[in-house]
Amino acid sequence: MGLFRRKKKEDVHKDDFMMTKGMYLGKADIKNGHIILNCFLRALIVFFLVLGMIGGFLSAFDITCNYLIVITVFLLLSMYFSFLYATTRFFYRDLGYILFFGLFIVAIYVFRIYANSGFYYVVNKVLDTAKTFFDLPGVREYEVQIGNNNLTVAIAACFIGMVMIIVLNIWMYSIMSVFWTILFTFPIMVIPMYMKMSPDPVYMVFLAIGYFCVFIFRANGHYVLFAWDNKFKVRGLRKKRVTYTQDAGVFGQLIISLFALFLVTIFVTNAIVLPTAFERRFKSDRLRSTTSDAIGNFLLLGFSSFFNKYPSTAGMSGGKLGGVSNVRPDYLTDLEATFVPYGNDAIYLRGFVGGEYGENEWLDAFGYENEPDFESEFNKYTLGSEKDTLKNNKGKYYAQGYMEIRNIGASPEYLYYPYYTEFDDEFIKSFDSEDVEFRNGLTRKYKYYPKVVWEEELGSLTPDKIDKSGILDMYLEVPDKNKEVIDEICNEIGVDDSMTEYEIVDKVRDFFAENYPYTLKPGMTPDGSDFVNYFLTKNKKGYCAHFASSSVLIFRELGIPARYVEGYAFSMEEVFTSDEAEGLEASDYYTGYSALGDAPVMNVEVSDANAHAWVEIYVDGFGWKPVEMTPGSNEETEENDFWSAFGDFMGGGLGDNDGGVGLNGLNLSLSSLSGIVFVIIGIVLVAILIYIVRIIIRKIKRYMLMHQDNKRDALIARYSYVCDLLRICNADFDTYRTHKDQLTFMKDTYGVDMDVDKVTTIIESMSFHDEMPDEKVFEEMSKLTIVLRKAIKKKSGLKNRLKMIQK
Amino acid sequence: MKKIRNLIRYIIVIILDIFMMIVFHSYLNFILLVGLLLFPLYSIIGVYQARSHAGISISAPLEPMVRGEEFLVNINVLNDSFFPLVNVNVNLIVSNSFYNFKGEHTLNIPFRAKHKTKIEYPITMENCGRFYCEVTSLSFVDVLGVLELEKKVDASTQCLVIPTSNDLNAEAGQIYFKGVSEAVESKDKGFDFSDISGIREYIPGDKLQNIHWKLSAKGEDLMVKERVNVSAMQLNILLSLANDEEMCVEGALELADGIMKAFVKQNMPFTVYYYSVNRGELAAEHIVNDIERKQLIEMLLYDVCHDATIDVEDMFVAKHQGQANYLYIGQNDGGADDGNSIVGQKNTVAVLKRSGMA
Repeated sequence: MGLFRRKKKEDVHKDDFMMTKGMYLGKADIKNGHIILNCFLRALIVFFLVLGMIGGFLSAFDITCNYLIVITVFLLLSMYFSFLYATTRFFYRDLGYILFFGLFIVAIYVFRIYANSGFYYVVNKVLDTAKTFFDLPGVREYEVQIGNNNLTVAIAACFIGMVMIIVLNIWMYSIMSVFWTILFTFPIMVIPMYMKMSPDPVYMVFLAIGYFCVFIFRANGHYVLFAWDNKFKVRGLRKKRVTYTQDAGVFGQLIISLFALFLVTIFVTNAIVLPTAFERRFKSDRLRSTTSDAIGNFLLLGFSSFFNKYPSTAGMSGGKLGGVSNVRPDYLTDLEATFVPYGNDAIYLRGFVGGEYGENEWLDAFGYENEPDFESEFNKYTLGSEKDTLKNNKGKYYAQGYMEIRNIGASPEYLYYPYYTEFDDEFIKSFDSEDVEFRNGLTRKYKYYPKVVWEEELGSLTPDKIDKSGILDMYLEVPDKNKEVIDEICNEIGVDDSMTEYEIVDKVRDFFAENYPYTLKPGMTPDGSDFVNYFLTKNKKGYCAHFASSSVLIFRELGIPARYVEGYAFSMEEVFTSDEAEGLEASDYYTGYSALGDAPVMNVEVSDANAHAWVEIYVDGFGWKPVEMTPGSNEETEENDFWSAFGDFMGGGLGDNDGGVGLNGLNLSLSSLSGIVFVIIGIVLVAILIYIVRIIIRKIKRYMLMHQDNKRDALIARYSYVCDLLRICNADFDTYRTHKDQLTFMKDTYGVDMDVDKVTTIIESMSFHDEMPDEKVFEEMSKLTIVLRKAIKKKSGLKNRLKMIQK
Repeated sequence: MKKIRNLIRYIIVIILDIFMMIVFHSYLNFILLVGLLLFPLYSIIGVYQARSHAGISISAPLEPMVRGEEFLVNINVLNDSFFPLVNVNVNLIVSNSFYNFKGEHTLNIPFRAKHKTKIEYPITMENCGRFYCEVTSLSFVDVLGVLELEKKVDASTQCLVIPTSNDLNAEAGQIYFKGVSEAVESKDKGFDFSDISGIREYIPGDKLQNIHWKLSAKGEDLMVKERVNVSAMQLNILLSLANDEEMCVEGALELADGIMKAFVKQNMPFTVYYYSVNRGELAAEHIVNDIERKQLIEMLLYDVCHDATIDVEDMFVAKHQGQANYLYIGQNDGGADDGNSIVGQKNTVAVLKRSGMA
């Protein structure tokens, strides 16, 4: 029993704060508002945030709903959870949550159709806006079962708000994190902001006040509120701090202040800078221009639009179509071509030839594995007949050249040879027997007979050299699934089989150029859709593979034998900007007619961005002839996928095309830094402004003190000012302890003419005896302080003068 | 550090807002930016205003409090400005001057606009002494939590905490008889060792035993005998205020208070000797009544206890040159526990001694 008593005695001050030895502080008290008021005010933060977010989002899309229901539900729920979190027992809190979730499930069951209808209505409205904004061919529309949008949207908003209130309430009571709050509530506002839809300012004020409240309480503390809390807590490593827990009064006053501040801000900002004037300040809209395609694709295709089925770098696709959402060249060299340029036309290096169009794929036209006459098939595949004709034609335009192709990083499955290459028997045999790969690092030297003047027919012999029956079978085939679309397009283009091949080619090319923009980020072809049909009817944008594939089917439909070809193409402009091959004689690489005259041997680096797809059509008198169907690009060919575009926007791009910010380069451009510079300048200006305001406030205060009605206090203030100035100039001024010493110092240092004893008497009589100076003394003393100030300033250096300005 | 964190956090929010404004060409972010730039101004002006319009007062009970009894110190902080602050720190120094115990801490309070914040500080002192509380400065933190301003103030209060004492009437009486040989002069006087020096009219509050009944009967008014404490010097109390780790002075004060109460109650005057640190000498106070006893206790508590190196008995003996008896109250060094002594708390004792026999 004694033990217990002793223990009890020792614990008398267990919960008290020992201020010093033997002195204890019990439970300090303060009138800080009732817990209910505190909980209510705390609930307001959550309420503001959720109402601001949901109301802002809905108002941005002009979606109206019954806000009476929304506000009532949000307010009640915010308060419910606020009180729940502040309950004295955890058991009650748990019970409260269980009760709520029970009601939540019942409510969902009862109002599910309303909530679904409201939610779908909102989604439809957003998608509809997006359709207009992104110029999308069509978006999915969800079925709305109940037409009373006012009610259904309100119910849907309530359900979404419930979840947000629960999560935010927990955060508000535990970590009061500014960033989590912003991350949780703001991203949804990005959707209307991106589409240039403005939320209602009222909701933005709510949202802003919510953020500010979170920031203030995070910065100042006092946000953890429990009903069992004492009004004060002892904190600190050695318990040297007695801190109040919460106070409803300050909370309420701050909310009112914030409301007033933001209302003033909105009115003032609107009065000074109108929204239209603000918008005009932005000359370009890089974000939207670089990301709208990707986001549009996302709206059409979902998340799959962000990811490619095949490698998204450029280069050979081997006839595979539709699996790449965004082509992203790495600009690394794939091939190195050494040759003598001979004309102004682009150089095409054949790699893959597609004959049959299958399921979003071109099948290789060269099925040599099953061919008994391999050499004949190989020659057909590699345009052997056309080559022979050119070789045998010793006319004016005869030419023969050599081209060395070094495989640096291109796919080893293909040969990459120029048009009308002569493959010798040995190579053909080795190709047949060893299934030779053109491995990286290998160099092949091709002998070819360039067709310098394309307009010249190859001669009447050509058609006879080609098995036309084979051509008709394979190269005129249009799959049934594409026939309808191709026919419609042909009608739309206005072509028919009575027109010549050239007329048809020109018509189709013009049609594409006018109606189908070139882009490296067309988005993936949706699963189940045909590549060509989707391109021609829905997506209506694409890159070379889209145009080449569609053109092949159109030509075939109109009776022109056509096939799909992949390889590398580079323009003469690229050739001329390349390096000359040193030590090589042009005569060793080229003989015969050249449109360029005597050209040197050039060494052209061909990157993956030069990978290309084009069409070969069969024309009587010419044989297989390459035709370019891809329209010119108006867009930059660098980073084209969503992530690159985003990265480009954020950091100025990863490529080396425009001198922007490169992560692999250190040359930061000023334009991309302008935002940061703007922010820094802004912060500096604000700091300077604050500083100036402080000085002005101080000056005004001092002026008022020096010119107050009470002459005694006014004179003391003036003398005090003189002393302050002296403290700036003379660090040891404070060592003069008496007025007389101070005044003697002033007289000696600054040469001011004054009767030290008399002035001392006056100052001391005012300071210590509350003696009021008469008018004459006041004037004399005022003049003396002015003279002293001037003398002090006159003798001070620039640095001290600047310091004096702050006084 | 916290202020820097708050500042960085705020700057990040501004940068984020500017980023959103530039990226989305958002007018709303522009408005928010204006708000974000104006709010620091509001915050800074607010803290300056609050500081210049702040005032503080502090008060403790005027009456002495008993040791171990809780008493309230009221701290009132006034904000006469229109700007509320979430955090204002009141820098407090509390001390027990008798023991030279001193502690500093900060009281953090809310600061409502146009409001007087009242805080009740319930304080308990385990030791007697003089409680002294002083507010040296107030620190004002702006609502953004990035700026803290200080204002020097001078507000203080104090309260005496006196010892509790037991009823020692019987023991004190015996000690007194033993200690004062002259006390046998008249038992009829009923422990009253004073002589009559004059007669005066009755003043309410006079003791009944002092009324001169014979004289009063002759006239209309009651007459009272005025007494001179001719026997006061006959008993000296030597109170040692030497303290040790066990806080023995607490026991000595308690014992002295009990004995003095008993003496006063029995109209036995006495003189108390103690060493005054403030005065630097052996002080003597002649006590006749309860008021003087209380005043003595207060005087003792306004003084400062000392360590054992100061031997008050030596001083006392030197002063009286071995001519007086005295009642020593202090640490029980000799282990006295007989009929000539009263044992107190914390190894203290009141023991009757004769000069030279200490």
